[in-house]
Amino acid sequence: MTISWRNIWRHPGRSGVLLASIIAGLWAGVMIIGLMNGMFLQRMDYLIDSEITHAQVHHPEFLTEGYSRLYIPNHEEIDEWLRDDTRVRSHTLRTITDGMLQSPVKTSGTRIRGVDPERERETTTFHENIIDGEYLDSSIRNPVLVGKRLADTHNLELGDRVVLTFEDVNNELTSAAFNIAGIFESASPQYDDANVFVRSEDMIRLIADRPIFHEIAMMLHNEDDAEAVTAGLNERFSGIEAQTWYELSPEIRMMVEFGGAMLFIITMIIMLALAFGILNTMLMALFERMREIGVLLSIGMSRIRIFLMIMLEATILTLTGALAGIGLAWLSIRKLSESGINLEMFATGLAEIGWDHMIYPFVEGSEFVTIVILVITITILATLYPAVKAMRINPLEAARDT
Amino acid sequence: MAILETKNLSKIYNPDTVPVHALRDVSITIDKGEFTAVRGPSGSGKTTLLNMLGGLDRPSKGAVYVDGKEITNMKDSDLIDFRLRNIGFVFQHYNLIPVFTARENVSFIMLLQNRSKEEIRKRADSLLEQVGLGSKKDSRPVQMSGGEQQRVAVARALASEPMFILADEPTANLDTAAAMNLLDIMEKMNRDQNVTFVFSTHDQRVIDRARRVITMVDGAIHKDEEKVSP
Repeated sequence: MTISWRNIWRHPGRSGVLLASIIAGLWAGVMIIGLMNGMFLQRMDYLIDSEITHAQVHHPEFLTEGYSRLYIPNHEEIDEWLRDDTRVRSHTLRTITDGMLQSPVKTSGTRIRGVDPERERETTTFHENIIDGEYLDSSIRNPVLVGKRLADTHNLELGDRVVLTFEDVNNELTSAAFNIAGIFESASPQYDDANVFVRSEDMIRLIADRPIFHEIAMMLHNEDDAEAVTAGLNERFSGIEAQTWYELSPEIRMMVEFGGAMLFIITMIIMLALAFGILNTMLMALFERMREIGVLLSIGMSRIRIFLMIMLEATILTLTGALAGIGLAWLSIRKLSESGINLEMFATGLAEIGWDHMIYPFVEGSEFVTIVILVITITILATLYPAVKAMRINPLEAARDT
Repeated sequence: MAILETKNLSKIYNPDTVPVHALRDVSITIDKGEFTAVRGPSGSGKTTLLNMLGGLDRPSKGAVYVDGKEITNMKDSDLIDFRLRNIGFVFQHYNLIPVFTARENVSFIMLLQNRSKEEIRKRADSLLEQVGLGSKKDSRPVQMSGGEQQRVAVARALASEPMFILADEPTANLDTAAAMNLLDIMEKMNRDQNVTFVFSTHDQRVIDRARRVITMVDGAIHKDEEKVSP
């Protein structure tokens, strides 16, 4: 141990550079991981909290076909069932159809979402997106909420009237005038352009002679229960399909899978650089000390001790750097997770794809542990070659040099 | 009593290409307490002989016995352990561990022998006192002269309490004063503690002090003479 430690500091400059590069590399790697985690989690949380929720129930064909007639056949029983399920924090029923919005300026295709204002407010945070006017609990007749981008393209203002046209449950076209009660702006301009919100009771009056719902969205106390809750619903009720947030959102699926792949790639690049750094340093150290190691073998140091000495040198050096780098990264993440990283200069671009410019990075404890385990593994693998080479030195080489 | 013996020791390098006969049928016996110099011109085989005696190289033919035990057929790992416990080495270039102090260099071999910390410290200090370096215990090799480094090397060789010490050209890099001082120390150890020394050397100063001189020419023993004590 002593000889290994002293050997590390035989060339303080060289060891210092390696140490600094390990610290900087790991810090940067952990920060990137934290940043990506933060971006993905914020986006996922936003999508789940404001729209998708933890799980949803639909007619099995509704999500692909989108017809008004594809409503949930037994929504009352499901509503009752969910009220009794203690895992469910809140749930809301939505009437949804695709249609057209007509203003004096133009006509646009849109998805019309009929919601219960009170229950929607208890279940999602969508109401926080209102930037002008009121929510759907407005006292005006047939209120509608339109997105900012849609309002801009149609030159719409609060109080303006638009006509919504859509199919009823019998595939007959129906239309009605709605008054703009509020303008919303979500994280995604595309979403704002393609969706309008009305009260479900106003919409139901137009498309059916009884209450019908196409979507039941639920928030759970614990998102990990989503699979169990949906499995229970699918088992209990026929003619419906309950799905988790992961199954419902291709964007979230992409984020989870892409995020995992990116983290793997970033981690591997850092580890590869680390491996070559260690290999280079240890080989340089070995070539410089060939004669010395030969002498150690001559005077009776066993080959396994030589092997362990080299392994220990690399491990001490790398672990010191790794712990310092990870410690520094932990402190940085801790600070930035509170204050956030302001990517305002990219705000427009990020907004176009629905991402917030304030990022709150975070790294899970298990990710820190994984990185430390990876560093140790990489160190051992990268040091194996120099260590084996050292233990195979012929002591005669030392004698020949003398 | 013979502590070191070779029988028909031969070493041929490059046997399949251009054979070089480094040793030819060398048979010698070294007794406990000898102070022996192996001399000869470059290429005469004296270093090869010392390597064989120290178990650093294996002969093409013949055998080496240490205290009656053949070391030429030992496994590599057993041979390393055997060297640790039985043979002391002093090299021409001192070969101290540069990151260790004098005391640590002397202690290191005893650490490998798993001795107690207390014993290691006492013995290291005592040996450094014996070689006249009591005041340099905490100095690193780079802070010492060549003569001082070689005296640390002698203390290191003695630390493991070996049966004998093999010293390959120990004075070659030292000035006269340092060489004489080193020889005084080794001679005193030989005389007072019955430590066996075998040198390979060109140095007349060593040859003059040796009590037995083996002269090698072309890998064979040319002359083996014991000096009569005055």
